[in-house]
Amino acid sequence: MKSRFNLILVGVGGQGLITLGRLIGEACIRAGLNVTVAEVHGMSQRGGSVVVHVRIGEGDSPVIPLGGAHHIIAMEVLEAGRSARYANRETVMVVNDLLLPPPLAKHPGKKEVIDALKSKLERVYIYDAEGVSKKIMGTPISSNIALLGFSLGANPVLESLISRVAVEKALEAIFKEKALDLNKKVFEEAFREGRSNIGG
Amino acid sequence: MHPVLARKGETVLLMGNEAVARGALESGICLAAAYPGTPSTEIVETLSEVAKDLKIWVEWSVNEKVAFETAYAAAISGVKSLTAMKHVGLNVAADILMSSAYAGVKAGFVIVSADDPGHHSSQNEQDNRWYGFISHIPVVEPSSPREAYCFTKESFKLSERYGHPVILRTTTRLSHTRQPVTLEEDLPASPVCKGVFEKAIDRWVLVPGHAKKLKIKLLEIWKKIQYDTSEPFAKIINPGMKDVIIASGIAYSHVEEALRIAGLESKVTILKVNMPVPVPRKPVEEVLRSAERVLIVEELDPVVEKQVKSISKELGLACEIYGKEYIPENDELSLQVVYNGICRFSGKCDPVVWESIGELKLEPPIPPRPPVLCPGCPHRSSYYIVKTALNKAGVRKVIFTGDIGCYTLGFQKPFETQMTSFEMGGAIGVAHGLSKVVDEAIVAVVGDSTFYHAGIPGVINLVFNKGRAIPMILDNSVTAMTGHQPHPGTGVTAVGEPTVRILPEDILRAIGFETFVINPLKVKDSISVLAKALEEFKDGKNIAIISRARCALEVLRDARKTKTVLPVYKVDPGKCTGCLACVNLSACPALVVEPYSRKPVIIEELCAGCGLCASICPFNAISVAKTPTQDWEKLW
Repeated sequence: MKSRFNLILVGVGGQGLITLGRLIGEACIRAGLNVTVAEVHGMSQRGGSVVVHVRIGEGDSPVIPLGGAHHIIAMEVLEAGRSARYANRETVMVVNDLLLPPPLAKHPGKKEVIDALKSKLERVYIYDAEGVSKKIMGTPISSNIALLGFSLGANPVLESLISRVAVEKALEAIFKEKALDLNKKVFEEAFREGRSNIGG
Repeated sequence: MHPVLARKGETVLLMGNEAVARGALESGICLAAAYPGTPSTEIVETLSEVAKDLKIWVEWSVNEKVAFETAYAAAISGVKSLTAMKHVGLNVAADILMSSAYAGVKAGFVIVSADDPGHHSSQNEQDNRWYGFISHIPVVEPSSPREAYCFTKESFKLSERYGHPVILRTTTRLSHTRQPVTLEEDLPASPVCKGVFEKAIDRWVLVPGHAKKLKIKLLEIWKKIQYDTSEPFAKIINPGMKDVIIASGIAYSHVEEALRIAGLESKVTILKVNMPVPVPRKPVEEVLRSAERVLIVEELDPVVEKQVKSISKELGLACEIYGKEYIPENDELSLQVVYNGICRFSGKCDPVVWESIGELKLEPPIPPRPPVLCPGCPHRSSYYIVKTALNKAGVRKVIFTGDIGCYTLGFQKPFETQMTSFEMGGAIGVAHGLSKVVDEAIVAVVGDSTFYHAGIPGVINLVFNKGRAIPMILDNSVTAMTGHQPHPGTGVTAVGEPTVRILPEDILRAIGFETFVINPLKVKDSISVLAKALEEFKDGKNIAIISRARCALEVLRDARKTKTVLPVYKVDPGKCTGCLACVNLSACPALVVEPYSRKPVIIEELCAGCGLCASICPFNAISVAKTPTQDWEKLW
């Protein structure tokens, strides 16, 4: 492959973005692909914006240029809006249906951000990842896995690179026992919902 | 099993820092010492996680200078070792760095300097490749996490070949990027862990007479390194072209991809420099001789550029050499920036490759999300307590000097309890100096780990030289910001073994401070203790404050592990008047005011149960919603 597939993961520190990046990296190894997974975060452990750049294919340069993302997974609505600069018209964006406003700040509402994204991008999907995680895990902890499942469902190009099988093998490398079974369930259910969104 | 322990032939996903750790283990180190600092931390953290299994010594030292000395001592006794630090950490260890080049080593010794172009989590973006010149220590620089693995091993080989220390320079992007790495060798079955200290007074004692002789030897080694090293420390790709690009470190990865995108990969000769200081002389001469135009692509300072220009001048060559005309000298480089630079240099590519949809235009706009103190962070309560107590004691004009740690975030409103922050331990020295020239009361706020690192000489100096400032130690009993590494006040070592616990109050009392220890969870009690303490200060006594509670992230983690229920607070909308004192005075991320509402609510998932908001509320409108487990306070 001449050019690399660029996947941006955004959200707020503490939402599980680093784990998600690692999971995708492990899945790429199992799919026999080169990958770089770069974590960009500031000083704080929690609460700050986090961007993870995942670049699949040959090459080592880790950071995705503005406008260079093929797919964006946003774990939070304001961060989805902020990540627009990485998108071009063809970018597929999957957004967690969750708004976490920073303290003491005026901010646009969920609808305003989503509408603005939809006015510029053809494929924006809003997904209640917390819902599926809460249903299966009992907590929102696996929202990240759900968003990946939904993304593979809604974006066949992404699925053609890292297959569901590779992701499941990667889940096996990261989780054990009950947590593994439940995460697989979250992933599968979210994948089905993603696929049904594109009429699959 | 930890991925750095995988077998030869396996492909594992390693972060750049983990790749360095694996490379060092394969090289046979038996000792590693460091002080944590972003972006270097995970190197020695990884080693600490496997140290017991491998029976090697790994420690978190109190600061970079001591870490360096510890590792260097092993290397002069024939035991391979590593020390790692963030770029500014090497300033702290610079004294021994210089000496180590004079005296050399008897086993491989690698100093990892993890630089931070772009100031991601540092006070400056100094380019530590310069240290190579000042110290006469070669600097090796990988261009990817995979290379970080290989070049750690090459650095050890280089160190052994010349009996000389080697600096391995990484940068944030490389340190924190993960990549599949295929392991070339198994770990050595029994690395050399027992050293022999051979008395060699004229080598290990750097009195002027000895140092003069050692300097001559040092310059010989330096020259050899320049002239004898080529592969793998420099590599010529596609030789013979008139346009040449010389790239060092991670900049090479951007150059490689940019040329591919521009379709120029077969039209340009690339010299990939993996040792930027000193640049390997022969390959540079070789590419310069056939070049007409040269572009040097490197992050930050023109370190390679100056050397290449000087070599070209020495050889009397006529080629044009460019660098910082096309590539910025500040901030982190990226594919985009390098692509633009190469296009301008070559005049041969389409400047538009990526078309961003741009920023969204919204009203109000998407607010920035600066790092904030976590919900439940004891620093938040400590800041509220000290400001309230100062107010109560009638001390109105106060200067808060500050330091390096999570608590630096206190510079933000509503706290503004960090009015300076320069370097580790700086709060105290700066407070002392200010006390000699201004009239305001001065509180020197410093974290526990920073206090051990560089604060202790400052407090001694403050008393000795009759300064008037109040040291305030925010003590969460761990190095929190870099991910909870233990320090002398934690009571465990890097590998989790129990050890002595050295308390800051014992040190401060021994120096002569009347020291008050408060629990920031007990807001009202703490305010009255400090109000009394401030009376003593007004009477001319030396006082110090220690505010002690564990990091909220550790408490939350332990609560999950032990199934302890922490209290969760809620706002009673009946009692709440919407005065927003809780929101405005605590700036807690768990307290939010929904759009179209006047009254705050507490996000249950975020609340850590510290209770600060309830202490602030003048109308008793905030109370515990979820009854905690008995003894929950012990976790703090």
